[in-house]
Amino acid sequence: MIITNNELVYSKYKDDYDILFLDGTYRDVLVKTRDKVHEGYELLTHPLSSSIKPNETPYKSVIISDIKGNLNYNSVIIIENSIMTFDKFNLNKIKNINEKMKEDFKLIDLTVLKSALNI
Amino acid sequence: MKLELGYVFIKDIQFAEVSKVENGTLYVNRDEVKALILEDQNFKSADVELARPGESIRIMPVKDVIEPRVKVEGPGGIFPGTINKVETVGSGKTNVLKGAAVVTTGKIVGFQEGIIDMTGPGAEYTPFSKLNNLVLVCEPVDGLKQHEHEKALRFAGYKVAVYLGELARALTPDEVHTYETPTLVEGIKLYPELPRVAYVCMLQSQGLMHDTYVYGVDAKQIVPTLIYPTEVMDGAIASGNCVSACDKNTTYHHLNNPVIYDLFDEHGKTLNFVGVIITNENVYLADKERSSNWSSKLAEYLGVDGVVVSEEGFGNPDTDLIMNCKKIEAKGIKTVLITDEYAGRDGTSQSLADADVKADAVVTGGNANMVIDLPAMDKVIGYPEVADIIAGGFDGSLHADGSITAELQVITGATNEMGFNKLSAR
Repeated sequence: MIITNNELVYSKYKDDYDILFLDGTYRDVLVKTRDKVHEGYELLTHPLSSSIKPNETPYKSVIISDIKGNLNYNSVIIIENSIMTFDKFNLNKIKNINEKMKEDFKLIDLTVLKSALNI
Repeated sequence: MKLELGYVFIKDIQFAEVSKVENGTLYVNRDEVKALILEDQNFKSADVELARPGESIRIMPVKDVIEPRVKVEGPGGIFPGTINKVETVGSGKTNVLKGAAVVTTGKIVGFQEGIIDMTGPGAEYTPFSKLNNLVLVCEPVDGLKQHEHEKALRFAGYKVAVYLGELARALTPDEVHTYETPTLVEGIKLYPELPRVAYVCMLQSQGLMHDTYVYGVDAKQIVPTLIYPTEVMDGAIASGNCVSACDKNTTYHHLNNPVIYDLFDEHGKTLNFVGVIITNENVYLADKERSSNWSSKLAEYLGVDGVVVSEEGFGNPDTDLIMNCKKIEAKGIKTVLITDEYAGRDGTSQSLADADVKADAVVTGGNANMVIDLPAMDKVIGYPEVADIIAGGFDGSLHADGSITAELQVITGATNEMGFNKLSAR
C-alpha cells in the first residue's frame, strides 16, 4: 500500500496499487504511516527517502505492506526516528515555493518511489 | 593492480587561442569548450567562465565538480562505461591536472543546490575554492525533460574534463605517486603482523538526481562488490548526485577519495589495506537488508580486522550506515563510520536518523544545520536568483546587497562524509 500526498503518484498508480491519498503535509504522511505501523503493517520503503530535506519538499510517498501482521519493531524505530528528524527542520522554506517547483518536487518523489516499485 | 598517478600542478587558469598547459598555467580555448558542450543538441547555448582561488566570485547552483585526468599508459580511459569504453581501468599510468577542476552548474529542477565561494568565510568550507575552476553554464533547449537535462549536464562535465585531461598526456608530471594492491593471497603474506583493513564505500542510489554510476551502471542495480582502489582513481565511479550539496560526493571526491589515499599512506606502516567494497543506498528497505548482508559477508570473506565505512547523503542512508555497522560488527570486525550531522541549528538535536550502540567509533564531517553568513561577491557565475530556494536556504536567505544567510548545507562539499574537508575541530 502506498501512503502519499502527491497527486502525481496517486494518478499514476491508483489503478495498480492500493493507495491511501492524504490531502495534507509531508508530516501528515509520516504520522499516518506511523499509525499504520502501530496497527501491524510493515514499512517497505524508508520514510526519509531522497536526500531532499523535509523542509524543502512538501511531498512524500511511503510504501507499507498490504497485509497486517504482528507489530514490526524495526518499522516502529524507523518511522519514529523519521518523525523526530522531520521535526528538527525549520519549515519556513516551504511557504516560498512556486508551481513549477511543486511539479518538480512531485516528479522527484515519484521517481524515488518508482526506484522501489521497479524491483 | 598498480597505478602511477602523475601530478601536473596547476597554479593558474586563463583563456587563450590554444588549449595547453605551460609552466603551471592551464590555458583554455573557450570556443572549443563551448563547441564541445554544444555537440549535445539538448543544449541551446553554453557559456564558460573562470574562477580562481581568492577571486570575489560565487558559483551557484553547482551540480558536479570533476578533476581532469588522462590515461597515459595501460588499458582503458578515464570514466570507463560513460565516456570511454568499458575496459578495466586502474593500472598503468594516469596524469592529473592537480589544482584544476571543471564545475557544472544548472537549474535542472525548480529547487537548487550548491554554492562555491572563491573567497571569504564560505570559501573555508569548500575544498573547491582552492582550485582553478573552469565553470560551465549550459542552457537546455526548451521543454527538455529533467532526466535528459541531468544526463546531458553530467556528460558535458565529463567531456570537458576529459578534453582538459588530454592536455596532460605528453607532459612530464611534477610528482609521481604509485599505488598498488596485490592479490588477496599475496597481501596476507605481506604484513601478517598488521591489522587487515577494508573500506566500505556507500554510494547514493535513490533515483533522479540521486544516482551514482559504476562503470556506467546505475549503482542502485548492483549488489555490493569489490573494486580495486586504483580503479576509482581512474573514474570507475562517477557522480550523478545533484542533491544535498554539503554531503554528496562529487566526481572529484570519488577520484580523490581521501579514505583510499590515507589507507594507502598507512599501508605497511600501521595497517594492511586489503581493498574496497562498494555498496548502495536504495529506498526499498529489503534492498538495504540485502546490500548490508552482502557488504558484511564480503568483509568477513576478506578476513579483515576492521573496516572504515563512509556514508553519502542525509536521512535514508543513515539506516544503511547503521545496518552496515551492526552486521559487520556482528562478524567480529571493528567499524569506524564517517558521516555528518543534522543536529539542528544549535547542535543539540540527535545527529542521525538512526543509531546503534555498536556505532561507537564515528567521525563527523560537521553539522549541516549550522547557520552561516556569506557576504556578497563581485561576480556570480550561474543563477543568483535561486538563493532563496537553495537547499539550506530559507525565505529571506538572499539579502538585497547579495549576501546570503543560510545553513551550512548550501555549500558544496562542506560536510563531506569521506572527510574531504579543510576545516577540523582539532
